[in-house]
Amino acid sequence: MYTITKRGLLHFVAAGLLGAVGFGHTALAADYPTGPITMLVGYGAGGQTDLVARATAKVMAGELGVPINVVNKPGAGGAVAARDIAKAKPDGYTMLFHSNSVINSAPFIMEQVNYTPEDFEYAGMITAYQVGMATQKDRPFNTITEYVDWAKKNPGSSYGALSPEARLYITEIAKQNGLDVNIVPLKSGSEMINALLGNQVALAFSGGIHYRYPDELKTVSALTTFRHTSAPDVPTIEEEGYPLGMDSRTTLILPKGTPRPILDRLAGALKAAETDAEFAKITEAANIPIKYFGVDAANKEMRDSYAKNKGIMQRAGLISN
Amino acid sequence: MSDLLIGFQDVLHPATLIWVAVGVTLGYVLGALPGLGKATGVAVCIPLTFYLGPVAALGMLIGIAKGSAAGSAVSAILLNTPGEPSSAPTALDGYPLARQGKAQKALKMGLFASVIGDFVSTLVLICLAAPLARYALLIGPVEICTILLFSLTFIGGLSGNSMTKGLIAGAMGVFFATIGLESETFVSRMTFGLLELEDGIALVPMAIGMLAVAEMAVQAGNVKVLDSEGARITDGASRNDRVVLASEWRRCLPVIARGTLIGSVVGILPGLGASVGSFLSYGATRKASKTPEKYGTGMIEGVAAAESADNAVVPSSLIPLFALGIPGSVIAAILIAAFILHGLTPGPLMFQQQPRLVADVYAAMLCASVILLIVGYTGQRLFAQVIKAPLRLIIPGVLLLCTVGAYMETSSVFSIYVMLFFTVIGFFARKLDFSFVTFLIGFVIGPNLELSFRQSLQLLDHNAMNLSKHPIAVVFILLTVAIVWWIGRGKGPAAGERHASAGQTPEKHVPTNS
Repeated sequence: MYTITKRGLLHFVAAGLLGAVGFGHTALAADYPTGPITMLVGYGAGGQTDLVARATAKVMAGELGVPINVVNKPGAGGAVAARDIAKAKPDGYTMLFHSNSVINSAPFIMEQVNYTPEDFEYAGMITAYQVGMATQKDRPFNTITEYVDWAKKNPGSSYGALSPEARLYITEIAKQNGLDVNIVPLKSGSEMINALLGNQVALAFSGGIHYRYPDELKTVSALTTFRHTSAPDVPTIEEEGYPLGMDSRTTLILPKGTPRPILDRLAGALKAAETDAEFAKITEAANIPIKYFGVDAANKEMRDSYAKNKGIMQRAGLISN
Repeated sequence: MSDLLIGFQDVLHPATLIWVAVGVTLGYVLGALPGLGKATGVAVCIPLTFYLGPVAALGMLIGIAKGSAAGSAVSAILLNTPGEPSSAPTALDGYPLARQGKAQKALKMGLFASVIGDFVSTLVLICLAAPLARYALLIGPVEICTILLFSLTFIGGLSGNSMTKGLIAGAMGVFFATIGLESETFVSRMTFGLLELEDGIALVPMAIGMLAVAEMAVQAGNVKVLDSEGARITDGASRNDRVVLASEWRRCLPVIARGTLIGSVVGILPGLGASVGSFLSYGATRKASKTPEKYGTGMIEGVAAAESADNAVVPSSLIPLFALGIPGSVIAAILIAAFILHGLTPGPLMFQQQPRLVADVYAAMLCASVILLIVGYTGQRLFAQVIKAPLRLIIPGVLLLCTVGAYMETSSVFSIYVMLFFTVIGFFARKLDFSFVTFLIGFVIGPNLELSFRQSLQLLDHNAMNLSKHPIAVVFILLTVAIVWWIGRGKGPAAGERHASAGQTPEKHVPTNS
């Protein structure tokens, strides 16, 4: 069965030498990968990001021919996992699958987080979050402009917010239009859905899970720079004259200094998810649009969105520098 | 109903049933091992769900949830090391029973209460999911806030020998729960620059340290006494100590019914959770009892109250999930992921689009209840032998499991430090006779109370008069005031207890039960 080729022999010798020195799988980038890969997820098991991560890991493991172990490492919205990645060996065997918001907006919001896009390498992006504002189907407004008119006539209405960004949107809109809105703090997406379905709040910030309730809820605005696949008729917040669109995408994040061939290899495997039927089935059921970016596109998106979000936060007075 | 029959036909297929049984068994064993529990089981099983069919995967996950809720009573009763906070009340009376040589009786009662609570609550889910969930939506933050406030008064009933110490422990619990990101201004409170503390102190490692490791430390200091006592416990000397007697059944059935009701209601409501269910049920049973001072010394009703509510929460916390697509618990969130994994969207549409799958899941849940009874009954005989093993063999094993359990949820060594920190606090709480149960109540309820209070302020538009639009909230405020007044007048359960509890033999050596 086995024919000894020069190349095979070289591999054998190289592996032997490396093995002798004691490096397990830190072989040459050209051989990558030779062993199992650890994929950290910065949220707990059971969330949307975890779900996409596991589906992605399955496709990529098939492409790369090695197992990919998904490890949940929740904490501070993914900042704990990102810190681990920043310290990990840049050999391509440890990576983080997470929303890029941990790098392009968390540093402006959390005191302890100071990442910049330069602190990591990116092997691509695969899905986008359909962040938006949602309300009950029978509310008499369908856009932000109509909401502003309604809120002027109904002072003291409630808005559900589960993150600093969520508060930023409503404070900016309220400031510009002189609205009187009560901001109700919410802890999680399911609390947000509870508040909407139970008619507790008139409007709420949603990370996209409100699309699961097409009979009860509707989208008022897309808080992204693109219109949502699940609601193509709803204008973005930028189209309505507020330059506040902030995009977040699930991104493969690797330690600084990971060799480019490894990033390309991972990006190639990630691309397979774009057309994978099972992956599509899962993301479709969860209303998550697939938007693949390769290494270069992901790098550009990271830097652009970081600069843009920084501008938005500065104008809103959240950060000074 | 005909759907349910088809569901049973699907589930009673060996290929499906075996996964349900695997889930229940795994959950029960993990729950029975101190330190491990749901979190561990789910972590082990999520990758598996990718490869199973939807019914098998969902059946297995639900089996784990049910199994671990019932199994956690085993370590609570035998070793006084509840694996999860929701079993802490079980240990209060279960462990004294075990030290009296009635371990098998307590284990059996715990299991029966669990299975009954579980089965009835599952029936509630099947029959009433849709209308109940709609009604539960009317319970908003304002109502939740007052319900939590009312629950806090149970500290008075559970604070042990000294009300003051109970209140101090409760306040400490609230204090530790304030650590982390504040929910309105997103300021980090007392995190000392540690990223790991941004989300607050995680319940699982805290509870493992406080309840299990600290208990092991206390027992380690008492090895000789406990071991010589253990040698004298001739388990099952008389049949009356091994089985649940008819008279005990008569006393416990109303308790189980109340526990099931409380557990089911707590499960449906958002943001309360299993611990609140078992605390409330235990507290209510004690309040209703004619001899509240005997609780904590080995009352079989205490075990029945805590366990029935603990397990009843599991199915009913799935009601918001099935009816509305809202996860009411950690397990429910994982189940949503499992649904989506198989291309299904959880929520009301599921009933129209996938009636057969819903029926299958319901049938799987009922089967899981029955399997739980079989697995638990068989497993107990084995687990009950633990009580005869010398502590020097038990303690290292328990410590290992606790460390693994603390690590599992966050995959982070920091959780082990959290566990050790609370071990120290738990150790001194036991030595100085501060109730760790009221600490837990404070820890679990405190942050939810704060959040719902902040939410209420906004929802009421900062005007107290708007409370009139929330009659349920007003009722609970009045109830709270009435109970505080009642306790304050010295007629509360804690008052009569100052004279009690010291006389019992097992209590003397283990001054841990509040």
